[in-house]
Amino acid sequence: MSLVTAAALAIVLFVGLPLVAHRLRRQRADEKKFAAARLVPPAQPRARRRAKLEDRALFSVRSLAIVALAALAASPFIRCTRLSMQRSGGASVALAIVLDDSMSMRAPFGNATRFERAKAAAKELLASTREGDAVAIVLAGAPSRVALAATTDLSAATATLDALVESDRSTDLDGALELSRGLLSQLPQVDKRVVLLSDLADGNADSAPLGQPAGMALWAPLEEIRVAVGDCAVLSADRSADRVRVKGACGSGASAQGREMTLTSDKAKSVVLAHAAAPSGLTFEVTLPIAKDAPAALVATLTGVDAIASDDSAPVLVNTGAASIAVIAETSDESVATGGAPIVEQALTALRVELAVRPLPALPDRDEDLALFAAAILDDPAGLTPEQRRALDHFIARGGVVMLALGPRAAQAPLGASFEPVLAHGTSWESNPAPGADPSSAKAGFDESAQSLVDLAAPSRTSLSADDVQLLARAPAAATLVAWKDGAPLFSRRAMGRGEVWVSTLPFSVNTSDLVLRPGFLALLDAFCERAKQSGSARRGDVGVAWTFVGATDVTAQGPAGPVPTTRERDAPSIVPPLIGAYTLMVSGQNELHVAAPSVRELDTRPRALSTAAQTQAMGDTHAQVDASPAIAIALLALLFIELALRVWGARLERQPAS
Amino acid sequence: MSADRATSIRKALDWGSLAPLRLRSRLVAEGLYAGAHKSSRRGAGIEFGGHREYAPGDDLRWLDRRSLLRHDRLLVRQFETETDRALRLVLDATGSMAYRGDKAPGSKLAFAALVGAALARVALANGDPVGLAFIGGEDCPPVPVASGREAFERLIGALENVHAGGDARADAQILDRALGVLARAARRGSVLVVLSDLLDLPDIAADRISALTTRGRAVVVVRVLDPDELTLPFEGTVRLRGLEGEVVVETDVEVIRDQYLAALEAIRAQWDRALVSRGGRLVTATTSDDPVRVVRAILEAAR
Repeated sequence: MSLVTAAALAIVLFVGLPLVAHRLRRQRADEKKFAAARLVPPAQPRARRRAKLEDRALFSVRSLAIVALAALAASPFIRCTRLSMQRSGGASVALAIVLDDSMSMRAPFGNATRFERAKAAAKELLASTREGDAVAIVLAGAPSRVALAATTDLSAATATLDALVESDRSTDLDGALELSRGLLSQLPQVDKRVVLLSDLADGNADSAPLGQPAGMALWAPLEEIRVAVGDCAVLSADRSADRVRVKGACGSGASAQGREMTLTSDKAKSVVLAHAAAPSGLTFEVTLPIAKDAPAALVATLTGVDAIASDDSAPVLVNTGAASIAVIAETSDESVATGGAPIVEQALTALRVELAVRPLPALPDRDEDLALFAAAILDDPAGLTPEQRRALDHFIARGGVVMLALGPRAAQAPLGASFEPVLAHGTSWESNPAPGADPSSAKAGFDESAQSLVDLAAPSRTSLSADDVQLLARAPAAATLVAWKDGAPLFSRRAMGRGEVWVSTLPFSVNTSDLVLRPGFLALLDAFCERAKQSGSARRGDVGVAWTFVGATDVTAQGPAGPVPTTRERDAPSIVPPLIGAYTLMVSGQNELHVAAPSVRELDTRPRALSTAAQTQAMGDTHAQVDASPAIAIALLALLFIELALRVWGARLERQPAS
Repeated sequence: MSADRATSIRKALDWGSLAPLRLRSRLVAEGLYAGAHKSSRRGAGIEFGGHREYAPGDDLRWLDRRSLLRHDRLLVRQFETETDRALRLVLDATGSMAYRGDKAPGSKLAFAALVGAALARVALANGDPVGLAFIGGEDCPPVPVASGREAFERLIGALENVHAGGDARADAQILDRALGVLARAARRGSVLVVLSDLLDLPDIAADRISALTTRGRAVVVVRVLDPDELTLPFEGTVRLRGLEGEVVVETDVEVIRDQYLAALEAIRAQWDRALVSRGGRLVTATTSDDPVRVVRAILEAAR
């Protein structure tokens, strides 16, 4: 007889004993002789009445308790359909769970979503960890981020998982894997594993297969959620005068044909103000007419149903689109030299700075006209009128970035046409005592390009007053980016309000210097445009991409799902919108409406290929054996409490008078 | 009868603290004399003894016509007896009489025998003849009516020899054998004392016994119960087996106690109604009662 047989017999005995005891207890009552037995009416004995309820229940509870006790002693493993880690040895494991919280994970999976399935899988994995295992949680929604640094506190990991919610971000699988590698690399565990719980739809379906991070194994279960689904999204909706221009896109294999683009009021979405059929194609554009007295807050919605509903509508913004940069340059002289647009315009176009270049004949003197731009470049202006100065002052205070290239015309500004508030005094155009820039004076970002300005051919240059030179060099609000060899500023930057003013003591003209022909000029424009983009003038951005408010003192944001936390990035307040939709911002006391739009890449739900090693089940199993002891122990405790409750209940019944 | 045999019978009869019957009965009777200076019994005679309500079966010769005409009520005239009146004891010796509860000094049969013997001693002392019949029982031939010391010895012997047995409900002849003789042989003025627990007698027993009141006979039925039978002292679930027949009842005492006591009271009421309506009397006693008080109550009931 084997040990198992003996154990089974023992269990049978243990189960049988209570049964026998139960039967013995239920035997007939003691028989007594009684002369008047004929007068005694029969009644169902209380013990038998109780046997119907209490005793049977108690017997069942005790039998179950004994079975549970035996099972607990056996420390059984059960096979069930849940994720678990395989362990080749007894050593602890360092595990990084990469959970994809991108928009594509909102696609339905059964009665839930892919994200919920992935979250449940993460919990199953956590359940298979043991004391000593280290767990880190990384989110793969762009930008990939650490939800939980590596810890051996498994309860903290569970709490972190519980707090995670879906987002509309794009997918950053490579970044998430790199983050995981960084988190695990310093841990003492030899066995380092990365589990990728994602649909792998990062918009790079045709890219190279996802490989294992160096020094650790990658396992990507959840093949069931890696299915391409059709999804279309409204990318932008801009209102201009009497029309709204809506742009949309569809993922690979999907089409918006048959669906309609509707325009509704944000407050009364049931009333359709305008509608038009959505054209087919991966990208499409629909123009909807709108009455001039239509509500200010409008929503463009793509009717019909697709895999992801959250990206089927977008708030309408007034007169936005890509952020633009205003260029005010003297065209007459430039056209002679270049044969076309001013050279600064051509340089901006060549740089592809993602800013629309808008040439203007003169600097607008109204706030609302300047508000349309993220930045302005004034090439050798002949002074500024009081109205222009006031508009410029407001523009800079709100976050606008201005490049002031001073030249001979600026030096000849008429009386009353000054450059306040940028410069306190007038300028003069003088011969250059020290041609060429001093590379050693270049600030970060201009290190290499300043070399190209060493032999700058500039016979003349703008001379600033001593007060202005001091103003443009005073840290931290101002800095000289590149200086002439005699120390006078060539390029300077000064923060004003939320905006910035950049000053060049050479104009952007080939007639005065060869500055515009040198790489240093392009570097200057590139840095300027980058700063312009950071200034937040772009009120629509991709979801998950930070909005940085340089120069702002404080920023608060209210998103579609409530308040959005503010962080600091490069000494400026920053907000990362996690969801598609409108965000009401309070930037240094001023209200602004920003919109987070879906990423076009995220509409492509085709899964990215995986390396062969990541598809093996060497690290885990979806039907693995799981130690059932904890569950049995809890069940045993529950049985104990049930028995106590039954006994208390039975005692109360006995105390009650028989009816 | 050998001493061993007598001892075994006494044990079988379960006399308990009531034995020996002879001595105890005398003590009971003497205790009775101490409080009773006159033993008068009503019945047929010369000296007027009062009126009582007419009961069916009464001798119409003693119907008081004047009372009927004056008060429109049927009353029977009673007279003080001047003659010796025979005492006829009827002892229920069916199986149920063997019951003795934990708190009782002896069985019901033993108590009834003691009371009967005491009554017999009182009667014999007054010169009245005494006879004894049994309802059921084993080894219990009836003792014919006789007087004198020998009659008492025979009666005591019969009472000591009897032990309970028989089921009067199952065997109707048991009752007939006891009462048939009485109905025929008991003379006018006889006093019939029936000692029984009344538990397992047939339903017609009350009518049959109360009918003995005819012909000027005084009938006193003494219900002898064990204290346990009055209280049903068991607890919880019990399985009760009757001493007669095959009655087996499994019950929850707390649940049915009130029903049982109601049934017991119903039997007492039935007997009381049947007897009183015919001039008989019902005396109740338990085996834990003082036998002297019981005998006195019987004698008062028989007046």
